[in-house]
Amino acid sequence: MHKTKLGILGVVSLAAVLVLGLTAGAGSARPTKGHKIFFLPKLIGVNVFTENGKGAKEAAAKLGESVTYNGPTEAVAAKQVPFIDAAARQGYNAIVISANDPNAVAPALKRAQQRGLKVISYDGDVRKDARTIFVSPPKASDIGAFQVEWMGAQIGYRGQIAIVSATPTAANQNTWIKFMKQTLKKPKYKRMKLVKVAYGNDNPTDSAKETQALLRAYPNLKGIIAPTTVGISSAAQVLDQSRKCKAVALTGLGLPNQMRKYVKKGCAKRFGLWNERDFGYLATYVASLVLDGKLSGKLGQSFTAGRLGKRTVVKSDGNSPVVVLGKPLVFTRANIDKYNF
Amino acid sequence: MIGAVRALKPQQIAAAAFRLREIGIVMALGVAVVFFWIRAPNFMTVGNWQDIAKDVAIVVVVAVGETMVVLTRNIDLSVGSIVGLSAYICADVYADHNGAPMVLIALLAVGVGCGLGVVNGLLVVVARIPAIIATLATLSIYRGLSFEITHGEQISAFQLPDSFLNLASTKQLGLPTLAWFAVVVAIVGSAFLRWTRWGRDFYAIGSNPEAARFAGIPAGRRVILAFTLSGALAGLGGFLWAARFPNVDAVAATDFELDVITAVVIGGVNVFGGSGTILGVVLGAVLVATIQDGFTLLRLSEFWKMFFNGAAIVVAVTIDALVTRRLQDALRRRRAEVLAARHAEAQAAARAEGSP
Amino acid sequence: MKRLLLHLLFRWELLLVVAIVGVSIWSAHLSPFFFTRVNLLDLATPYVFIGLLAFGLTFVVIAGEIDISVVSTLAVSVVTFAQLFDHGVNVWVAAVGGLAVATGLGLVNGALVGILNLPSLAVTLGTLAAYQGLAFVILSGEGVATFPQNYLNIGGGYIRNELPIALVVLLGAALVLGILLHATRFGRYVYAIGSNREAARLSGVPASRVRVTVFMLSGFMAGVAGMTYVGFFGSARADAGQGSLLDVVTAVVLGGVDIFGGSGSMLGVLLALILVAVLRNGMQLANLGGDTQNIVIGCLLLAAIIAGNLIRAAQAGAIKPALLRLRRRGVIRTDDAPAAAVAAEFESQTPKGR
Repeated sequence: MHKTKLGILGVVSLAAVLVLGLTAGAGSARPTKGHKIFFLPKLIGVNVFTENGKGAKEAAAKLGESVTYNGPTEAVAAKQVPFIDAAARQGYNAIVISANDPNAVAPALKRAQQRGLKVISYDGDVRKDARTIFVSPPKASDIGAFQVEWMGAQIGYRGQIAIVSATPTAANQNTWIKFMKQTLKKPKYKRMKLVKVAYGNDNPTDSAKETQALLRAYPNLKGIIAPTTVGISSAAQVLDQSRKCKAVALTGLGLPNQMRKYVKKGCAKRFGLWNERDFGYLATYVASLVLDGKLSGKLGQSFTAGRLGKRTVVKSDGNSPVVVLGKPLVFTRANIDKYNF
Repeated sequence: MIGAVRALKPQQIAAAAFRLREIGIVMALGVAVVFFWIRAPNFMTVGNWQDIAKDVAIVVVVAVGETMVVLTRNIDLSVGSIVGLSAYICADVYADHNGAPMVLIALLAVGVGCGLGVVNGLLVVVARIPAIIATLATLSIYRGLSFEITHGEQISAFQLPDSFLNLASTKQLGLPTLAWFAVVVAIVGSAFLRWTRWGRDFYAIGSNPEAARFAGIPAGRRVILAFTLSGALAGLGGFLWAARFPNVDAVAATDFELDVITAVVIGGVNVFGGSGTILGVVLGAVLVATIQDGFTLLRLSEFWKMFFNGAAIVVAVTIDALVTRRLQDALRRRRAEVLAARHAEAQAAARAEGSP
Repeated sequence: MKRLLLHLLFRWELLLVVAIVGVSIWSAHLSPFFFTRVNLLDLATPYVFIGLLAFGLTFVVIAGEIDISVVSTLAVSVVTFAQLFDHGVNVWVAAVGGLAVATGLGLVNGALVGILNLPSLAVTLGTLAAYQGLAFVILSGEGVATFPQNYLNIGGGYIRNELPIALVVLLGAALVLGILLHATRFGRYVYAIGSNREAARLSGVPASRVRVTVFMLSGFMAGVAGMTYVGFFGSARADAGQGSLLDVVTAVVLGGVDIFGGSGSMLGVLLALILVAVLRNGMQLANLGGDTQNIVIGCLLLAAIIAGNLIRAAQAGAIKPALLRLRRRGVIRTDDAPAAAVAAEFESQTPKGR
């Protein structure tokens, strides 16, 4: 009885391999109007990336391409891989990706490149050999330096500070933190001390818990820098809830709509970001131009990105080749009502 | 140790046998408190203990429900997903109707949890799916529903009314409001288990399902009730969660079931059903939260906390199986011996008096 | 005759094959790219590590226990492997190190359950958390990603650019473990313990030793799964495999393994895994989000058990009488007796001949 089952098992295994090997059916691709682009954020369900997606769809409509926006529900690189593989096998022409881990997605991206897809990375970069161009929001060195300055201005350039980041593997977070540390070495910021980098994993609850833990472990903490919109809004809420807005300064990268109430309460006097919709718009434009052969990633090439105007391919912070979105926007109580995103 | 047991008086034995587990937790708690008091800065401050109370509050509310399920020899792994789903629904409704009365929203949360709990109960009782599998499946299904409802958005704190958010930052009589919810739920839950027919039936079903059935207990209906209560309390937990962590998205309360089950197991509830108390669960939750808070103050990596959670479960289960049960059996046997001896004495005395 | 037909048609593995074909047709409808050789061969590759975990878990479940710590064990083996490699150890030796650690963790589970007789659910719930925490302690943060290509080929490479090596690993493991389960004395012991531990012990089966061994096997397979995982993803991190427990348990239960122990086949689990892979692949084609996919898999898990219950009840001819009893008394059994016992009880009370 068991031996029969065993025999069947062996036969099935062989048969599976044989039958699949003999299936020579080549699926004929349906003719597509324009290119098919797969837009893969770090995770879905977070406002920032949803905005990226809207910008992407706007650009696609303008260019006559089609964009599919989808991604995993957690900021985990392993979960981005099935989407990459699916895109590679389903006739997509390009992938625009913000990666949770520059290395974990690289093998899948290279498999996709081998099948002829173009890979554009934005926001969270991947390994250089797995993509054609990286679209960066403001230059990484700027992002790092600005946040340190925004913090310093609020705490008188002295005191303990901590960082609430996203996931420990996100390339953009680590690059920004690297530049923050570099900036802190400058004489102007010498009396500010970075005591801890905590990880909120782009998850509101985790970010809130990390902030609470920081406040308990470092009672003399003067400021928190949160270079992630999920992190800064959670930190603001925690500071507000524990009535520590006056004692602890907060800055970082945040969405105006999410932070408006806290800015008016004085919880986050100065922070910044860029236009996320424009970001997605630009990334898709770059992808489309690469597909058309108009952009190859050569340094110095310039192009017009629709309503955003002229851009150039540069080499930036070791991430060559890069296209930069622009300078960061700064939000304060004075101007926060002007923005709606 | 067994020798020392023999020397105890019967009343002392009876008391000890029934409270052994709780005494153990209190002792462990004492050791932990002393340790952290010495080693960790700011441990023994009012502010810190209020933080601990807030952490414990939501765990206790949900753990009371989980206890009911575990008592019947089942388990509910989906509580985390129910908390998350309920939290989002509360926040969503509040975001659109800022002026809605809080009681209504709380009832909504409980209602949602009830419904989800009933589904769990039906799967276990009617479809005869083992509870571990059924709730593992509903854990994923309910979490998936969260994603369907959120459409990839999140509710941000600024969308919620201050009156609601204040639940998590105000204090009544020195204790955080959240903790008061936990106190009330614990007291009501304890009374339910001790003094109502349903509650006592949970214990009976868990101890010996066959005997319970022959005694006429409608085991099926009771188990469905247990899961419904677990769901309802998880729903309430979600309401409190939204107040504490008002930036609610689809992944709220992921893995929360682990915290709840840790509290239940450490609290002395037998995984095979039939025994355990709410007091134990509350103490267990406090112990776990205290140690985790101590770790935070000592600036230990958060990953040690996860390891500690798991190790604590294993240690608690081991101690229970090896030590506690043996001690409890020895104590009960001793009590029976003493009572029998007394009874024999009394009979002898009566005979001596009755026949001159 | 009806009995024979039921027995043949409702052969669980056959149902699975039919399901696989059905889902394939649906997938092909969704996308013209489905029936391409490239797609068919490749679609199981991301799930190979889940299959390996499921194969190991099958032994534990057939023996009447449960092990929900397998994913955490995978994570520990992955990070141990990564740390060893990162500190200069040869990649293959480091892999053996990872396997050894995983087997050791399985041994801990086995000792607690098999020797100390602790309830396996509680124990593995604890070790699930403890091992996961351990994984993060060993390797927090960025992870290691500089593995040599010839190692990566195990999980991600192809023979002649077509046949994924991972698929070969999967089928090979199924074959070897299938032989172990169905054609050795050890396998028979496992079934015996799962059916009736006391009777088995009284018949001379070394129950404790076998139980310790099945947990060690489960740990070992978690290690193998971990090594394959790293091969496929090219990077080793402490959160490896997170979220996969649902798929692993579904593969085992859907594969026809009785959750109460005592029956099941490796072939069934292999087919169930293929079904899960094809289903997830299809849902990916339909652009369904990851968590919607989880809803489907969760429902599939429930349906598998309900179907199993129904089939067993039908085979014992007990459906109608069971429904009658339900309606009459409103009392439903909640203890662990399978439907067959209900049928047996009822049959002993009714006159023969239907």
